[in-house]
Amino acid sequence: MVLLQLLLNGIVTGCALGVVAVSFALVYSTTRIFHVAHAGIYTLGGYLAWSCVTHGVPDPVALLLAMLACTLLGALIQAQLYARLERRGATHLIVLIASLGVLAVIQNVIAAVYSPNILQFPSAWAAGVVAVGRLRLTYAQIATLGISLAAFVAVLLFARLTLLGKRIRAVASNPFLAEITRLEPRRVYIYVIGIASAVVCVPGVLVPLDLGLQPYGGVTPLLTATIAMIAGGVGSFAGAFMLSVAIVVFQNLSLLVIPGEWSIGITFFIFVVFMLFRPRGLFASA
Amino acid sequence: MTEYLSVAGLRKRFGGLQALDGTTFAVAQGRITCLVGPNGAGKTTIFNVITGFLRPEAGTVTFNGRSLDGERPQAIVRAGVARTFQHLRLFSDLTALDNVLVGLGGQFGEEPLGAIFRPFHTARVQRRWREDAREWLAHVGLADRANERVRNLSYGDQKLLTVARVLATGAELLLLDEPASGLAAGALDQVMALLRRLQAEGKTLLVVEHNTRVVQQIADEVLFLHQGHLLAQGEPARIIADPALAEIYFGGAL
Amino acid sequence: MDFLYSYLILAEIYVLLGLSTNLLVGIVGIFSLSQAAVFGVGAYIVADFLLSGALPFLPSLATAAACCVLLNVLVTLPSLRVAGDYFVVTSFGIQLLATAAFTNWTGGTGGANGLPGIPPAGLFGFTLTDTWQYLVLTTVAAALGCLCFWLVMRAPFGRLLRAIREDELAVAAAAKGVLRAKVEAAALAGAFGGIAGGLYATFLSFIDPSSFDLDASILLLTMIVVGGARTLGGSILGPFLLLALPQALALVAIPTSIAAAARQLIYGVLLIAFALFRPQGLLGERL
Repeated sequence: MVLLQLLLNGIVTGCALGVVAVSFALVYSTTRIFHVAHAGIYTLGGYLAWSCVTHGVPDPVALLLAMLACTLLGALIQAQLYARLERRGATHLIVLIASLGVLAVIQNVIAAVYSPNILQFPSAWAAGVVAVGRLRLTYAQIATLGISLAAFVAVLLFARLTLLGKRIRAVASNPFLAEITRLEPRRVYIYVIGIASAVVCVPGVLVPLDLGLQPYGGVTPLLTATIAMIAGGVGSFAGAFMLSVAIVVFQNLSLLVIPGEWSIGITFFIFVVFMLFRPRGLFASA
Repeated sequence: MTEYLSVAGLRKRFGGLQALDGTTFAVAQGRITCLVGPNGAGKTTIFNVITGFLRPEAGTVTFNGRSLDGERPQAIVRAGVARTFQHLRLFSDLTALDNVLVGLGGQFGEEPLGAIFRPFHTARVQRRWREDAREWLAHVGLADRANERVRNLSYGDQKLLTVARVLATGAELLLLDEPASGLAAGALDQVMALLRRLQAEGKTLLVVEHNTRVVQQIADEVLFLHQGHLLAQGEPARIIADPALAEIYFGGAL
Repeated sequence: MDFLYSYLILAEIYVLLGLSTNLLVGIVGIFSLSQAAVFGVGAYIVADFLLSGALPFLPSLATAAACCVLLNVLVTLPSLRVAGDYFVVTSFGIQLLATAAFTNWTGGTGGANGLPGIPPAGLFGFTLTDTWQYLVLTTVAAALGCLCFWLVMRAPFGRLLRAIREDELAVAAAAKGVLRAKVEAAALAGAFGGIAGGLYATFLSFIDPSSFDLDASILLLTMIVVGGARTLGGSILGPFLLLALPQALALVAIPTSIAAAARQLIYGVLLIAFALFRPQGLLGERL
């Protein structure tokens, strides 16, 4: 029974992480930038929603406001930082360093303005529990599962069906060609990071609903998400999502034998296995 | 005449493009063979496959009776086959001398332990290697440019430097990717004289070249490539005079 | 006077870390987030040996250096063989894993409470008790480190690394081993990091995981970005400047509750600013 509960918890959290992975993959496969600042946007989303909720804003509206703010911040980072660096001929390394700088700024502004300690969402509904046989699910978990799956499907449909989504895929598959046709990769990059920031805000709010807010709490999820993206195969959103669920489930199940503080070891172990035996990931398309 | 370098049945695909389509040819030792053909014929791809930078889907490469299939680029150079690049790929922040030194093999101090624990030996040995490098520069006519940074060299000098760097590896078979392209008359003659000199010293050259004058003047044999396979082979005069080949090469305009 | 000595000692220890980071990030050009993890491994190894009395100072230091060399080789060898960004994830993972290990492996590292009471360094029968004695030790260590760095960079190895930075393909075409050179540079960086860790542990006589976490890795990156990448001067200037920063901040009235966050915030701003406006840092070459 404990096994099934762990499995269930793993699926819920895994889906939330899957959204992080998919949003990161969106940015990485298009811009080729390893946008570590994404972890900061994930974190910021949660805190902004918390601020709204503690000022009496209804929860869904808080989520939307947070998503809006994240979109703007993400677009700003691309337009004012990454684009500028690219214009100045910055190397990949310099862009990474700048992104790390942004992450450090966001995390520490949050720590200074809010508090370095864990904050909880005052949403009482979240703690309510639904029992299915001997399994228990909190309302927060149900919301996380449902909204995460919806977000994932939305991103897939967006990429496949909408004009902007196709444009993004075109730029991702051939940036050089995109440059000389009318695809305007630079503008597409802004849209991509904007959208990805909005998307990552969703788990950024949902996960802390259950586990609490922490200024530096975006770093480990980002690592796990990038590992899922690589193991799933860069270019495959479904791969990133499924591997996220798989990794978190595996992590959860390993709790039966290993203490929880070492779960990062599990994740990293999975990464090492892939790196040694299947570096291109399972479903690589590029 | 034993085949010095032979490629057989090479196939390489890039997405929708079949770059090499059963390419088969042989190069004889001690001769200058020119590889010609329209753009996209697969010339640089062949270089990449022979030198181990690309793995073909099918086919074999044999050099001096030894198979080069699946070998790493470094091993292939040590076996005696080295190449230059169409886009030069020189180390622009380094001096001409340093560029050649990177090509010289077996230097003491090319790993940290030797550099740290035997600094005087490293410095002493370096002096000898520098002399060797200077000789290679002199060989191509760049003796007085040894301490210039590559970014300050003329295009013609940079092309000569790529030859010096590849000579430094000690390879007997040199694959030169457009050694004369983009050069004005004086530099062009310098390069052609250099290539003939190398042949006289016993090197074998396989040269990709677009300039028909260059091909006519230096080639012992011409290989005409089209759409990834060998279309024609023979003496330069005959190949160049062939109207059907010219049609393919120039698209009808001459 | 003791206060000034402490600053100098720490700055010199961080010079070794600056050399280490510059080797990896500046010269080889790989983005490493695990510099502080290596620093920590060195510190904990020396601390453990000294606390248990199993080995005296210099052999502990040598063991720590060897372990850190091995760690760096194990981390870089498989991941550099694959594409570039693989190493980012690998080093990111190593850093977080190391922090988890430092915090939870109470047997070896004392867990979150750290290891207090680390014995002072002993050299050839002489125990270092005064701060000025430590200053001599770290000055010698830093000077030796700088000498090694200088020797390596002016040797053919340094030239090879510079060539790799510019064009790996051309280096491979010249029959030189690219992966091997990068791993060797990483190994050297590991040695510097491990030795810095050992010196740190015995000087402070107390270490805990907070000195070796991701924030610390960010500080190390900031040191070479500000000081200057790829040069000896940058590796020295960066640590001295960045370690003086907390003192400068102390002049501004910042509540202690956010002092740490304020420092890290400044590091972030420095990273962004230098990346945008002066990527070569103050004394370095273009990153």
